[in-house]
Amino acid sequence: MLLQCCFRSFSEAMEVSPIVTSKQREEVVHGVPTEVVCTAFSNSVLVVVTQYGKMGTIVYVDPNTIGDNVGRPSLTTKVLLGKDEPLVHVCAKNLVAFVSHEAGNKPVLLAMALKDKTMEGIQALREVIRSCQVW
Amino acid sequence: MEAAGGGGAAGGIALHDFSGQLGEQRVHFHAMRLRDSLFLWVGAAPALASLAVAMCSPRDSIPVAASLLGDPSDTASSCLAQRLASKTKKQIFVSYNLQNTDSNFTLLIENRIKEEMTAFPDKF
Repeated sequence: MLLQCCFRSFSEAMEVSPIVTSKQREEVVHGVPTEVVCTAFSNSVLVVVTQYGKMGTIVYVDPNTIGDNVGRPSLTTKVLLGKDEPLVHVCAKNLVAFVSHEAGNKPVLLAMALKDKTMEGIQALREVIRSCQVW
Repeated sequence: MEAAGGGGAAGGIALHDFSGQLGEQRVHFHAMRLRDSLFLWVGAAPALASLAVAMCSPRDSIPVAASLLGDPSDTASSCLAQRLASKTKKQIFVSYNLQNTDSNFTLLIENRIKEEMTAFPDKF
């Protein structure tokens, strides 16, 4: 017990204010318990959206500098870990395109483990991500 | 390692920030505990430039690792992920963002992480 107290006070003395900002939220989205954590880095945003409690599929969403002809940069999605199928790319873009855009066209590292991949589900998840705005 | 009586240890993502003065450098750590897995960012400035994953394999005594983001020839992230995976038996994601990848220095990093894991087992 005493040893544990020593450890704690020692570690707390080492603790400074976090260098990265994170926001997290737990919510039941369309009947599915969901957790969202957003972390802002200087060169990117990390978004974790999970309905399994795990990282799941990891997708790198990168805005192209050239952009489409209406001025908005188009997004390239690359699956870094997990199943590389079209639905993953569609979900990733739908979930975090606005994050990349609002963060000043920063790339987004997205970790998603979704039970509900319906359009309504994704739309509702987008609002939960918005409520964890760190960018 | 289970936290004794830690109510929140079973479910929910836990975030934990800590830092350490290693030699002349202040190094920051950002840990995110998920279900049976851990994401750990290490850096001096708030940038995320690399990512690696490692997990234990029944076929090999050394955990398997893969570089997911950044320069694949830079093995600092995957080495650290491997070492933490063999300690915790969890799936470990590591983003190591320091210039110094000297083995003596990475050992200090690893020891600082292990020290924090001992002090706050429910956060990892």
